[in-house]
Amino acid sequence: MLWSLLKSVVAITIAALIIAAVLIALGASPIGVLFALCEGAFGNWYALTDTVVKATPLIFTGLAVSVAFSGALWNIGADGQLIAGAIAAGAIGPYLGAWPRPIAIAAMLIAGAIGGAIWGGICGWLRARRDTNEVISTIMMNFVAAQVLSWTVHGPLMEPSRAYPQSRLIAPSAHMYMFLEPSRLNLGIVIALLLAAGCYLLLFQTRLGFQIRAMGRNRRAATFFGIPIARLTIGLLALSGALAGAGGAVQVSAITHRLYERFSPGWGFEAIAVALVARLNPIGIVISALFFGALDNGSQAMQRAQGVSPVLVQVIQALVIMILLAFDTPAVARLRASFGVGAPISAAPQTGASADA
Amino acid sequence: MLIARDISRRFGRTLALDRVDFEAAAGEIHALIGENGAGKTTLMNILAGRVRPDSGEVSLDGAPLPAGSASRALKAGIAAVNQSPMLFERFSWEENLALGGFDTSGFDLKKVADRSRALAERLGFELPPTGASIEQRSVADRVRLEVLRALSFDPRVLILDEPTGVLAPSELAPFLDLLRRLRGEGRIIVLITHKLGEALAVADRISVLQKGRMVARTIAAKTSEAELARLMIGQVAISVPEAARITATDAVALKISDLFLNRDGYRVLDDLSLEVHAGEIAGIAGVDGNGQTELVEILAGARRPDAGDFSAFENGSRGRSSLAVIPETRDQDGLVLDMPLWENLLLAGPLLSRLTPRGWLRRAGAIALCRELLARFSIRAPGPDAPAAALSGGNRQRLEVARAIACDPRVIVAHNVCRGLDIAGTAEVHRILSAFAAAGGAVLLISSDLEELLAMCERLFVMSRGRLRETPVAERDPSRLGLLMAGHWK
Repeated sequence: MLWSLLKSVVAITIAALIIAAVLIALGASPIGVLFALCEGAFGNWYALTDTVVKATPLIFTGLAVSVAFSGALWNIGADGQLIAGAIAAGAIGPYLGAWPRPIAIAAMLIAGAIGGAIWGGICGWLRARRDTNEVISTIMMNFVAAQVLSWTVHGPLMEPSRAYPQSRLIAPSAHMYMFLEPSRLNLGIVIALLLAAGCYLLLFQTRLGFQIRAMGRNRRAATFFGIPIARLTIGLLALSGALAGAGGAVQVSAITHRLYERFSPGWGFEAIAVALVARLNPIGIVISALFFGALDNGSQAMQRAQGVSPVLVQVIQALVIMILLAFDTPAVARLRASFGVGAPISAAPQTGASADA
Repeated sequence: MLIARDISRRFGRTLALDRVDFEAAAGEIHALIGENGAGKTTLMNILAGRVRPDSGEVSLDGAPLPAGSASRALKAGIAAVNQSPMLFERFSWEENLALGGFDTSGFDLKKVADRSRALAERLGFELPPTGASIEQRSVADRVRLEVLRALSFDPRVLILDEPTGVLAPSELAPFLDLLRRLRGEGRIIVLITHKLGEALAVADRISVLQKGRMVARTIAAKTSEAELARLMIGQVAISVPEAARITATDAVALKISDLFLNRDGYRVLDDLSLEVHAGEIAGIAGVDGNGQTELVEILAGARRPDAGDFSAFENGSRGRSSLAVIPETRDQDGLVLDMPLWENLLLAGPLLSRLTPRGWLRRAGAIALCRELLARFSIRAPGPDAPAAALSGGNRQRLEVARAIACDPRVIVAHNVCRGLDIAGTAEVHRILSAFAAAGGAVLLISSDLEELLAMCERLFVMSRGRLRETPVAERDPSRLGLLMAGHWK
């Protein structure tokens, strides 16, 4: 655990050093850029709350990715699942006007979760019953979701005035509870935190969670001991999709209040970085999502103050992922074993503790 | 003349080859026989330069071969064919052969196809039409392609590792003819096999490996299957264990009826029936790959038979939860190596149900159980939180046995449970299983180690090609059992 956290910190540090070198080579000041980033992310009340708001969808998608990864199912489709959830919520939102607010909000969330669950569940079914690699199917379903979204906002869900390719506004009763306005803080972050706690309990405190993790660590052994791999695969990708889909619904309910094309700036993809930095730990996801939310939020201030393109932030994210993945090679595992840190598969027996009788 | 002198090779704790001498002459088919784990494949890998021996050297026609370089061994004229064909499924056969030595200058598929057809014709078999992919071809075709690929280098020595294991009986005779024709060309053919009849039928001389030592080299015409079986198995103590005789009862604990299983067109299990009684240790002997793994998977519930059924009984009533299975490949099937020991206990269904009442994990209870088992079965481990990977092989195996017993089963099915364990580790596992049987449990011990079975089991079955045959005590001499294991049932 300690090593896992250390690994993320080291990866981020190395990424930062590489970026600093690039910035120096380009004649910019790394300190200035860092300062502008922090200023933009935490510098004032508005920046700080907006960092939380930007982190919220990343917590949903980060949890989605991490529960699936825990079962060794590579869900690269959180983006599509989030969009599917948003479409479902955006579709029913305008018709909830007569409903009491708590129930309308709950209906939005449930619709989003169902939409995402269907999107993820399809990939789970394909994996379990048709042996289709879920990496491919989840990626492909991202494009399908984006096209469906585009079609709905040009077609069946398009606003009555037909001025722009966007859906009707959802009913006010379906608006998320907002805090401390004019900030955009809302109940969504609380829901995200509760779900993170729920995912932690599920994975580490329940029978189902154990089965998911056992399947993730050793599919063969899980099969041998009768863990229902096929059902678990379908269920887990549906659950993963539901988490992302609920994130989409929160976004519609709290921030956008309607659907439009390019609804997601790539929350589902950024989620992979979020999950990897958090080492798949649901509680770590919250911290990691806040970190990435802060990067996103600070990147605009960075551009204004230092003239550095916000794309730099994406470069940082990519570097962090690649460095973390490079840490997981067998070579590093062996190196780790030689220092007695962690417990890689090929761990040398620890002295005096495990010799044969 | 291919000569290997004084070859030793150690893998971890096991001495795979112990000062082995081997020689094969030009124009000879030399069979290398031995049980599983006798060191046949290791010797082949050393001859073919894939594995570097700890000591000793290999020479071909007087010239020493550099150790541990497959490409240089190939250049020197030694080609080897693997036990399971290594082909690219989606490629056509000539693309597969293009990786051989037919055309080393460029990638001219037509040249490859023409040359391989010419060679195949000389050897007396036909190739599929050009462009046909490997996917749909029979196993015999694949083996022939592998041989063709090896021959494309025009090797002086051709080593074949159990090439006939996957062939149907009707495909065997043409294949042996092929080997004879290759011998006729003056090549050295080394045939690795555990099928005695085949070795006698085709080989000129036979070398016998037993537990890493070369115990005999005989002329095929001057020996018999019975003698070879005795050489292969070596000296084993024949005794019926006292404990088993005392505790065995009439109550059926495990009943397997008429199991059938087909896979890839082969009959893996063929009308297999068996009863194991409470208080006894019953054994199934057999060469690996005769359906044992599939039988164990069926008993574990991880695989469905095509027909047939099995039940475990407790006081006359059925119940699958009273059956605990210890798989053969402990690191792949039995454990999750990077999970802590206490979580590994939860893999077993009964323990998972007991320790997750209403779905919630009782972590403290699981850790306490793990600590208790570590103490009770003297498993040397840093503690319940240590990952399974931190344990030695012997202690991993003890953990699996402890887990099976903790499930409180009526029947334990154990597959090659002592493979890779040292003497003390083996004795300890046997002691635990005997105690379990003495307390009224039933044990089905499936093993390729005859010595173990003869020491442990009162009733002994032999498994061959998915069928089961009980051997009366009178039949338990090594050569007879060797013949039975080789499929000679009469």
